Amino acid sequence: MSNPRFATITRIARLSLAASVVLSLGACASFKKKPEYAGSSDGDFISGSALPDRNESSSFLSESVDKSRFSPVYFGFDSYSVESSEEGKLNAVASFLRNSSQELIIAGFTDERGTAEYNRGLGEKRAQAVRSYLLSRGADASRIQTTSFGAEMPADPGSGEAAWAKNRRAEFGVVR
Amino acid sequence: MMRKLLFALSGAALCGLALPPVSFAAETPTITISKSDTIALALNPIGGPDSALITKVVQNDLTLSGLFSIADANRAAMTVGGADAGGSLQGKVLDHSGGTVLARAYRGGAREKAHAFANDIIETLTGHRGMAGSTIAFSATRSGRKEIYSADYDGSNVRQLTHDGSISVAPALSPDGRRLAYTSYLKGYADIYSIDLASGARQRIVKFPGTNSGPAFSPDGSQIACTVSRDGNPELYVVNANGSGARRLTRTPGVESSPSWSPDGRELVYSSDDRGGPQIYRISAGGGSGQLLSTGYRYCTKPTWSPDGKKIAFNIREGGVFRIAVLDLASNSTRVLTSGDDARDPIWGPDSRHLLFTRGGNLLLLDAQNGRTVKILDGLGSISEPAWSR
Repeated sequence: MSNPRFATITRIARLSLAASVVLSLGACASFKKKPEYAGSSDGDFISGSALPDRNESSSFLSESVDKSRFSPVYFGFDSYSVESSEEGKLNAVASFLRNSSQELIIAGFTDERGTAEYNRGLGEKRAQAVRSYLLSRGADASRIQTTSFGAEMPADPGSGEAAWAKNRRAEFGVVR
Repeated sequence: MMRKLLFALSGAALCGLALPPVSFAAETPTITISKSDTIALALNPIGGPDSALITKVVQNDLTLSGLFSIADANRAAMTVGGADAGGSLQGKVLDHSGGTVLARAYRGGAREKAHAFANDIIETLTGHRGMAGSTIAFSATRSGRKEIYSADYDGSNVRQLTHDGSISVAPALSPDGRRLAYTSYLKGYADIYSIDLASGARQRIVKFPGTNSGPAFSPDGSQIACTVSRDGNPELYVVNANGSGARRLTRTPGVESSPSWSPDGRELVYSSDDRGGPQIYRISAGGGSGQLLSTGYRYCTKPTWSPDGKKIAFNIREGGVFRIAVLDLASNSTRVLTSGDDARDPIWGPDSRHLLFTRGGNLLLLDAQNGRTVKILDGLGSISEPAWSR
């Protein structure tokens, strides 16, 4: 890492890898609109990168984690695509990560619709989609954890689209 | 002889009731059936110190099974009776002429003896496996937080297992009902814990980075399937029952969740949104590629494979309402079992006929054969994600 040239190459490699992840996510999101109901899935999927080991001295629920530093980003129904309207918020998070050594926990949430276990998976996928975006903007993968609470801890406990839209989100916890 | 005849009778009865199958017809060409789809039984009060409780439990077990109706002795095909003395229940079933169809002794607690007797009646008279005496578990909010509870399948013996004040969800019971695995946020992340129900000993068994959730015991209890996201995406994994030896089954960009094992332990079904809305897939327990099961519905989650291997029940979402559907694997046809309010998180019972599910925070028992629904538990706050021993 002391060699700036090496660091640049690494960053380019990382950017292109992350970009391909974002591309494949985007392709999947558009595929979602015209699903197919026959055949079996073949092939493989290599995710951008594995999560780093957890530091269990703090979690998203810890008092010591600052959850108000960044605004949540929001998602469409049953979707984990990062909307262009949310990119400004994410760019601020990426910029913070590039200029700090602090760790970040991304927590994904869903609205109350959906099966509980499916929602836990969807919330995790939202957190991971946000993580992929941040990596594509140069954030260091070794300092980002993800977690999902599914439909637990709604931002708005009400029912109806206005509440649901607030609950389909990813939040950011900065480890102090 | 009698047993054979009765087996044919019950087979014919079930045939008259089930919608698509025609396979029973060949076995029962010469038997005339009454209009009833059940075997009429008379139940004489069982004598002894726990007589009222035992009689009540046996009657409830026989009624919930969906296989019998309780009738007067003169209109019944059989009479159930017995006596409880010296800690032993002597259970008896007699036919019209007073001939003994079943006579057996049972030991243990009053409920335990009654359930064992009821299961023997069910198996002797119908050849089917009963669900009496099985254990269920679920998450409920009575304390204000989601905690794990266990109970008998009929809603008795409710026991709160966790007291963590955290979020405790997605319980799974080992097939023998002795261990319970579930998802907890005790450490702030979703991890899988395992409890030995006799000793209460608890261990955190799956704790990879990211989310670890939705355990499902293999039929022999030696392995647990679950969702793990450590690779940068939620994927299906199988681990040994103590959490060791993790291996990844799926490799997709989608969200895999809610695995359920085939009775021979060789395959699993699960939900994945890899191709749009969540659909049900089938995969070898050794890994490979998941095969999409065609159900005709766009949103399918939470599959559960029946212990007899013939059916997969799951949740569908139609017009914003959650319903329970069942796919018959032989005919590849899907039936919707519920109407009205949201019905969530179906799980098969050991008899491969009944499903538990939740509606409005209550726990209900659904007879997949005739659609009859009975409330099993309420008053525990909001109940969710039931599990059932096999």
